[in-house]
Amino acid sequence: MSLELNQLTKKFNENTAVDDINLTVPTGSMYGFLGGNGAGKTTTFRMILGLLKQTEGTITYNGKPIDYSVTNRIGYLPEERGLHPKLKVEEQIRYLAQLKGMSKKDIDVKLDEWLERFEVPENRDKRIEKLSKGNQQKIQLIASIIHEPDLIILDEPFSGLDPVNVEILKKSVKELNSSGATIIFSTHRMEHVEEMCEELCILNHGSQVVSGNIDQIKSDFGQKEIIIEGDHDISFLEEMPGVLDMKQVRKKTTLKISDEQYAEPIFKEIIKLGYFKRFQVNEPSLNDIFISKVGRKYE
Amino acid sequence: MNKFMTTFLQTYVSKVRAKSFIISTLIIILLIFLAANIDRIIELFDSSEEVTTLQVDAEEAQYGAIESMFASMDAEFEIEPYEGGDAPAGGAVLSLEETDPMAFTISAENDLPDEQKTEIETALAEVQRMNTIQALNLTPEETASLGESPDITYDIAADDGEAEDEGSAADMNPLNSIIFYVTVIIMFFIIINYASQIGTEIAMEKTSRVIEMIVSSVPPVTHLLAKISAMISVSLTQLIVFVLAVIAAIQMFDFNNLISEFGLESNDRTVTLAVYSLIYLILGLVLYLSISALLGSFISRMEDLQQALLPVTMFSLIGFYIAIFNIWTSENMLVIISSYIPPFTPFVMPLRAMHETTGQVELLLGIAILIVTIAAVIWLAASIYRNSVLSTDKGILKNLKRIRRE
Repeated sequence: MSLELNQLTKKFNENTAVDDINLTVPTGSMYGFLGGNGAGKTTTFRMILGLLKQTEGTITYNGKPIDYSVTNRIGYLPEERGLHPKLKVEEQIRYLAQLKGMSKKDIDVKLDEWLERFEVPENRDKRIEKLSKGNQQKIQLIASIIHEPDLIILDEPFSGLDPVNVEILKKSVKELNSSGATIIFSTHRMEHVEEMCEELCILNHGSQVVSGNIDQIKSDFGQKEIIIEGDHDISFLEEMPGVLDMKQVRKKTTLKISDEQYAEPIFKEIIKLGYFKRFQVNEPSLNDIFISKVGRKYE
Repeated sequence: MNKFMTTFLQTYVSKVRAKSFIISTLIIILLIFLAANIDRIIELFDSSEEVTTLQVDAEEAQYGAIESMFASMDAEFEIEPYEGGDAPAGGAVLSLEETDPMAFTISAENDLPDEQKTEIETALAEVQRMNTIQALNLTPEETASLGESPDITYDIAADDGEAEDEGSAADMNPLNSIIFYVTVIIMFFIIINYASQIGTEIAMEKTSRVIEMIVSSVPPVTHLLAKISAMISVSLTQLIVFVLAVIAAIQMFDFNNLISEFGLESNDRTVTLAVYSLIYLILGLVLYLSISALLGSFISRMEDLQQALLPVTMFSLIGFYIAIFNIWTSENMLVIISSYIPPFTPFVMPLRAMHETTGQVELLLGIAILIVTIAAVIWLAASIYRNSVLSTDKGILKNLKRIRRE
């Protein structure tokens, strides 16, 4: 039971916005879509929701195509934010939640709960146009999740929020995920994906660079990073087998090795020199993976 | 509650509760009540005072002529001989100078109401005429021939004998004219008012981008139809309130004077006209509001709204003018042709419905044309809306191209 995209392609005239994406979002997972501007994240989301028709390929959720019979179980926060400016917060959320099949009574209870959670209970009776941009974004997020959907699609949920609100939002998203919802979100910030997701898909100009379980991707990637801190001269390590790159900044040296097996000989070599404050083998960062797959730095 | 009803009720309730709706409705109700009491209001500001007695200062022979003239006209004031001094309270003095033509002077404390002046002037002109006839020593036949009208016949080859078919002022029933005018004016007023509202409503959701959340829950076509239905219902609600206000005004105030004064009596065409006017009024609103929704769904910037809605203003204005300015020649070719052109049909068909020469078939054909057009417009609006809902292209033409592309 999951969301599956098979050979998903979208072309606008000659321009291919999304090119042959294949991926599976397991039920209950937190799935990150990573990519710069124009990578195809929003187009993919719109196709999942049926707002755009794919040129080729199939999308199934729990084995069935997504149509308006299942949209009540889906929550969506679009990248382009916007609400009815003249409506009050309460009216706006009530309307959008009713469109998702909620009853007025349930909406009232849940709305109070969510406004408390996002620390904006005083805004319930205010018109949307009177709220700050960040608060409007919170209201829109509430509108997209108040009906407790099974599948939540959040397009750039953290953009435009200050660090405090980003933390509040992250906490809520994690809670929703731990209560069973499958969450897909897009971002151009690698650290958000690294911190929150088990699964990810990196998109670049409409193509799928890599996708799957993050730990698996990192371990399949092979490359590791070694950080060494100490007073001794270790510049000779650059010549050792398996070392791809070496950077030294004062007493801290960062090595890239092509496989973990090369870490042990390096360790054995340096302890001959004496005491070192730090020897640490790290998993590769998503940035390393991106550079290696795409051949350029992540934007 | 299904999603159609959710959007319908949300739009309907927010529009009916809007200050603009409440204020405009109250202003019209106020105007209806003011119009119902227009005679009383005029009286309030009218400093003239009706006279109850008219003292006549004239020779006995002339006095008799004047008295019998007023008596024959059923004048509502007493005629008395002049008793000297100033005019009494509530009365006036009419003094006659026997010059040729006769000179009359009317003295009174206050100005006389216009109707009384007209009445007196008519009577005195007749007295003068009788006087002249007497002075000329005319025979009764000669006198009678003075009042005869000439017999004029138009024999125009180009008319092909159809001239008689043209509706004319003579067969215009005042009540029917009022029904026609009210229908056309109300239709025009509501179209102009609500076209921009529905255009704004649809364009606002697109420009504010909230539409993306909405169409992820409800199919765009359902959403659009719910919006159009809600706006039509809002306009009909306002219409019903106006009708109720008119009925209330009729119940509350005495209209007998107004009705008898203008000869507002129904004829055998009144019921037909009233029924068809109502049908065309409703179909006209549905058609124009659907067109406005169609045009509103083209644009993605509020600045383009007025430009996009220009066709609605133009077509309704042209239809309105064709109807209003052809009321005296309601069976001419322009009226007949334009009554089958969909944007003009709702305005022009009520005009044709006033006349016996327009058969049921023509009137039903007009309704059929409108229903087909409305269905086509809604279908077009829905398909454009579905494809342009996520478009942020600026400008109407770009959006049209985009629609063709997808």
